Amino acid sequence: MFKFLLLAFRNVFRNRRRTVMTLLMVGGGVAGLLLVGGFFAFMFRGLRESTIRNGLGHIQIFTAEHFKRDEVHVLDTGIRDWQKVAQGVRAGKHVRGVAPRIEFYGMLSNGVKSSVFMGSAVQPDMEQAMGFSPRVTSGRDLTANANGEVEALVGLGVARSMNVKVGDGLTILAVTADGALNGLDVQVVGIVNTGFKDLDDRYLRITLPSAQRLLSSDRVTNLVVGLDNTDSTDAVAAELAPQLNTPGQPLVEKKWIELAAYYKQVRTLFSGIFLFLGVIVFFMVLMASVNTLLMAMFERTREIGTMLAMGTPRRWIVALFMAEATLLGVFGAAAGVIGGNAIGLLLNASGLHLPPPPGTDVPMAFKVIIGPALGTGASLMVMISLTLASILPAIRASRLQITEALSHV
Amino acid sequence: MTSPQVLHAALVEVDAVTRTFPLDHSHVTALDHTALRVERGEFLAIAGPSGSGKSTLLNLIGCIDKPTSGRILIDGTDTGTLTATQLTDLRRRKIGFVFQTFNLIPVFTAAENVEFPLLIQGIAPAERKARVQEALEGVGLAARAHHRPDLMSGGERQRVAVARAIVHKPELVLADEPTANLDTRNATQLIDLMRGLNERLGLTFIFSTHDQRLLEHTPRIVRLTDGQIVSDSHAKGVSDVQVSVASLS
Repeated sequence: MFKFLLLAFRNVFRNRRRTVMTLLMVGGGVAGLLLVGGFFAFMFRGLRESTIRNGLGHIQIFTAEHFKRDEVHVLDTGIRDWQKVAQGVRAGKHVRGVAPRIEFYGMLSNGVKSSVFMGSAVQPDMEQAMGFSPRVTSGRDLTANANGEVEALVGLGVARSMNVKVGDGLTILAVTADGALNGLDVQVVGIVNTGFKDLDDRYLRITLPSAQRLLSSDRVTNLVVGLDNTDSTDAVAAELAPQLNTPGQPLVEKKWIELAAYYKQVRTLFSGIFLFLGVIVFFMVLMASVNTLLMAMFERTREIGTMLAMGTPRRWIVALFMAEATLLGVFGAAAGVIGGNAIGLLLNASGLHLPPPPGTDVPMAFKVIIGPALGTGASLMVMISLTLASILPAIRASRLQITEALSHV
Repeated sequence: MTSPQVLHAALVEVDAVTRTFPLDHSHVTALDHTALRVERGEFLAIAGPSGSGKSTLLNLIGCIDKPTSGRILIDGTDTGTLTATQLTDLRRRKIGFVFQTFNLIPVFTAAENVEFPLLIQGIAPAERKARVQEALEGVGLAARAHHRPDLMSGGERQRVAVARAIVHKPELVLADEPTANLDTRNATQLIDLMRGLNERLGLTFIFSTHDQRLLEHTPRIVRLTDGQIVSDSHAKGVSDVQVSVASLS
């Protein structure tokens, strides 16, 4: 077995120039996949963290009935005695903070125009403590202890359609827990650009006490949990689950990934693009390798004939060619992983930036994250590709007519 | 493997063998109802001009080609009744090959080339090592064991090829024009070597040649012309040939 592998190993380096070209091709394919995949991974991480920081949090807690509620009486299924629940959650490991929220709906009017809104009510100090802050394009964020006027943030679309600017007043109308229509005058202190036009056209944010006064309830719709590290989400969620399952008020938790529909869409789209690239590289390596291996087989026709004449089983010849191709794949993958990581390190150190993505004005860093899974996956792919590429040359070699092979020039 | 056995079987028996090759819409007859019997321990040359059928006859005896008609028996076994796998097994165990162009595996050293027939027989490493050493000493190349073929002379390469052909102790060694690519000195050394192995180990050698130097040391010469045996002569006194294997090293 060792001698057999030794023969395969030495055959790989018999024609060094051709082997180097093959390794460059295979290595280039692997490195390319690592860099593209690494950039996508960096992009996914950035999108994940911005999704979480923009207010989604790592985990959200709701009552079990929350997802069956109607959109008018939003607090009928809200969390009672939320301070106690929050206190219990806050005591857990990796928990940076817990913030209450009310999600509610209603009408917005400036006396001239009216518009529907999707509102959220927050405790600004608790949100800021966890690093969650809306992207305010003009004005400022809400403050926890505002005196006088009730503060509000509106979306860019709301501000445009209602011709509202910072400092203007608006009236919010919503249905209370009792079913009555209630109103609240607010002052716009900031205008927010979420990056999503549909959301900006309906966006309203006020403080939690103001919303509770408007809705005549001390409940909240959900609690948002911020962690010190996104990777701890699963562990913290598993730890929290038993303490949420209380008989009086059964609660459920949702991890950020379950709530981040946009993130999942983006990830699915780019994963599809990456898969497509992978398929292209796979077939590129396959086709080029078939040609290279057929050339190698053709050049060694007489040698194969000699081996067959001496009584070498034909399956050994098949195995020899497949072993050589697999070794080429291993060396090519190693070259690609080393090259890809080296280029990745250079890219990360270069400080290169891409133009700002749509909806933002911040240039995007051009960095890559090359994880072991990506390197292993790309390496396995080219090894499989090369092994498959060797099947045709291997079978042809094993089926050579010995006398013809021995007279091959 | 089941095979018809005959009493006092010759090592090789070629029985009315014809071999034709298709050529365009016609065919060429390379061997025409050829018959030949070779006993164990013989040192036999097949001579004849180019195209007379020497290599075809060797290929058929070596079981790397099949006759169009007739039978080839090796050690009493009718090779026509064997499957491809059984033929491969027969070649692996009973036949050694020496080629005109040496046909060594270029990425293997001399020792590794000689080891190859033992490797495919599944012989244990320790025994392989001992037999390779013995075979290389037998051809006077023990000191060159770890050299690759491209660093060896033509004569040395052919001696490695001979060592490779005998290392697994075959019944029969077939050599196709073994001296054709060698100069006189190396050719003479090779002839002495093969003859010495024939006499010392009792190995049966059948080789094709039109090298007069080799024919002078050959006790039995079968001459072929146009695919037919025209003479089968036994020379006298040839067995007393001077064998100078020891001087090769």
